[in-house]
Amino acid sequence: MYEFIAFYIFAIATTILFVITVMSKNVLYSMTSLAAGMVLISGFFFLLGADFLGVVQLIVYVGAVMALYAFAMMFFDATKNVKEKHQNPSLVFLLGGLMALVFVIMFSAPIIGDNIQALNPVADGVGNAQAVGMVLFTKYLVPFEVAAVMLLVAMIAGIILAGKKMDYSLTKCEAVDEEMNVELEKGEE
Amino acid sequence: METATMLPEVTAAGVIIKAVLILAVIAAIAGFGTYIERKVLAFMQRRLGPQHVGPFGLLQLAADGIKLFTKEDIIPQHANKIIFAVAPVITAATAFIALAAVPVFPDFTIPLLDIYVPSIASDVNVGILFVLGMMAAGLYGPLLAGMAQANKWGIIGSARTAIQFLSYEVVTGLSILAPIMMVGSLSFVDFNNYQADGTWIVVYQPVAFVLFLIAGYAETNRTPFDLLEHEAEIVSGYVTEYSGMRWGLFFIGEYANMITIGVIASIVFLGGYNDFWIFPGWLMIIAKIAFSFFFMLWVRAAWPHIRPDQLMWLCWKVLMPLAVVNVVITGIVMMIVG
Amino acid sequence: MSLEQFKNRNVGTQNYVKLDLDHTPTSGWCQFKQVVKRTFKPELFVGLWVTLREMINALFRGKMHTTQYPFEKLPISPRYRAIHDMLRLLESGHYRCIGCGLCEKICISNCITMETRYDENQRKEVSEYTINFGRCIFCGYCAEVCPELAIVHGQRYETASEQRASFSLFEDMLTPIDQLNLQQEYQGFGAVSPNADENIKKTPLAY
Repeated sequence: MYEFIAFYIFAIATTILFVITVMSKNVLYSMTSLAAGMVLISGFFFLLGADFLGVVQLIVYVGAVMALYAFAMMFFDATKNVKEKHQNPSLVFLLGGLMALVFVIMFSAPIIGDNIQALNPVADGVGNAQAVGMVLFTKYLVPFEVAAVMLLVAMIAGIILAGKKMDYSLTKCEAVDEEMNVELEKGEE
Repeated sequence: METATMLPEVTAAGVIIKAVLILAVIAAIAGFGTYIERKVLAFMQRRLGPQHVGPFGLLQLAADGIKLFTKEDIIPQHANKIIFAVAPVITAATAFIALAAVPVFPDFTIPLLDIYVPSIASDVNVGILFVLGMMAAGLYGPLLAGMAQANKWGIIGSARTAIQFLSYEVVTGLSILAPIMMVGSLSFVDFNNYQADGTWIVVYQPVAFVLFLIAGYAETNRTPFDLLEHEAEIVSGYVTEYSGMRWGLFFIGEYANMITIGVIASIVFLGGYNDFWIFPGWLMIIAKIAFSFFFMLWVRAAWPHIRPDQLMWLCWKVLMPLAVVNVVITGIVMMIVG
Repeated sequence: MSLEQFKNRNVGTQNYVKLDLDHTPTSGWCQFKQVVKRTFKPELFVGLWVTLREMINALFRGKMHTTQYPFEKLPISPRYRAIHDMLRLLESGHYRCIGCGLCEKICISNCITMETRYDENQRKEVSEYTINFGRCIFCGYCAEVCPELAIVHGQRYETASEQRASFSLFEDMLTPIDQLNLQQEYQGFGAVSPNADENIKKTPLAY
């Protein structure tokens, strides 16, 4: 009963927040509601008994991904409204509506057809984190490793992109430094 | 698991009583912490600190509270009013939610009503990760506050919030990973039971302990890493435009976070609430938390701030590699020994 | 005699410690070495110990540094020119002022006003004496010129008040008759403070 109520509260709140994310013209409102929606999504995981995934959702999406978005948003004036340019609003509405419909059909079809079953049911006496670990290192080992390699590639690419002129100091004037070194050597003699 | 079955049943009433207890006691302690901080810092600089309101200045706390409550509530003209009002609540709320998964006081039973009050409000079996996640969510307080207030100091403060919290979460997570590997669980109760024989995890994991303390200070915005509201550089950072009770909420959140870090350090590394020699467990845990709180103040009195670039350098080039090496070495040793 | 010894201003015993500053590390490896050195040298713990030692000193050895100002006051230098005092003769208790008017004359901001008359013994008597502290610039000429050391600068430096008049009447500035034994003699201009010797510090001028 409690879970039922909690689910609907979470569902309604999440939907409203994400609608605000899409509809709002203010960067700050969009960002805040997106972050709050992420927090509420972790609530679903907790409701389903997947504590570990819920916490990971909190740490990764709320703590890291959204904070990076926020960091990028700091380059704009967050208190002003964004002027949106809609070339063809009806087309956008149509495509968006179609996409939503396709998703609803995709996810509801197996439920209606009773064709859904848990492939990896949680074993008794095994904690949440252990269950995730077992699945990751047996059934989903290859995607897991591929994802790891992709992250590594992205990291190296990021370092290379950012580090092109790493040996060149923006704050130090090398000519002055050399002059000072010469002076120091003179003084020591 | 065995100890859990021996305990009486946890009822909803007990959890609610516990939640109210945490809110009331921690909020009071957070206020009292400001008094302690002022006194200790004063003594370390051979001053007297607050002493005129009440005996030894103890009622200074009440005076400050009255002042904060009765102050005019100012919202800057060009600020985003909703977000400006929400931000301090986020800080305070996440700080207290994090405390929900932390064993703060020993469990007890209310005698007449026969209600069992557990030591943890919500014993999720991923307790440590939950606390870290909640503290990670707490970064939205300073972040949104800085962005909403239409103030340049505020936006610098929130930019620093983003980089500092993001970077040091990595170190916190990696440093606490090594003890997690040793214990093999994410629950605070298991950590406590692991150290029941009297050997603290800090003996096996000194590097992880130091790393965790450093990262914890950065995440609670304490002095060596107090860059979000560095008075000398950016006026007051993300709280520049705040005053009155909204500012007070930021303050309470910060002190609650300090207590949380103290609790995690004492339970994960310093033996938890086990009995020690002739001292009972509840006294030990309070003593440990009190000492870690005192240590934060001590550090504030002794050590200077560092620059933001030094902060990033320290995190990514020193602490993070050290933490990774520590995890790898722990794994190898566990493989050989166990 | 050469001039060398006059040029040497490095007199007295000095405890200046020269800081052993390393050069700024140039390469990443040097920077890393510096961090390792600073980490394992107990410098941080020395810092912690210093603050703890001061706390112990303050709490248990009575070295608390605070002056609880409104309740206790530090003595100020005799050179300080605070609110004026009118002194009395120690023998008779009569005020010292002879009504000569020199202070009124010399006052460069025209803030002293006095009226005198002859009393029944044909002595001059001060019937009215006020200083307008809205104008007074505390130059000290009045005290310097006074032939009887009657008007002097006192020790009252807390001059915040609802009315300036509460300082400026003759009766207010006059030493109260019951505190005559506490009256301090004015040392005159150029007097050094009692602890002047202790306050002298050598300056490092010889580089």
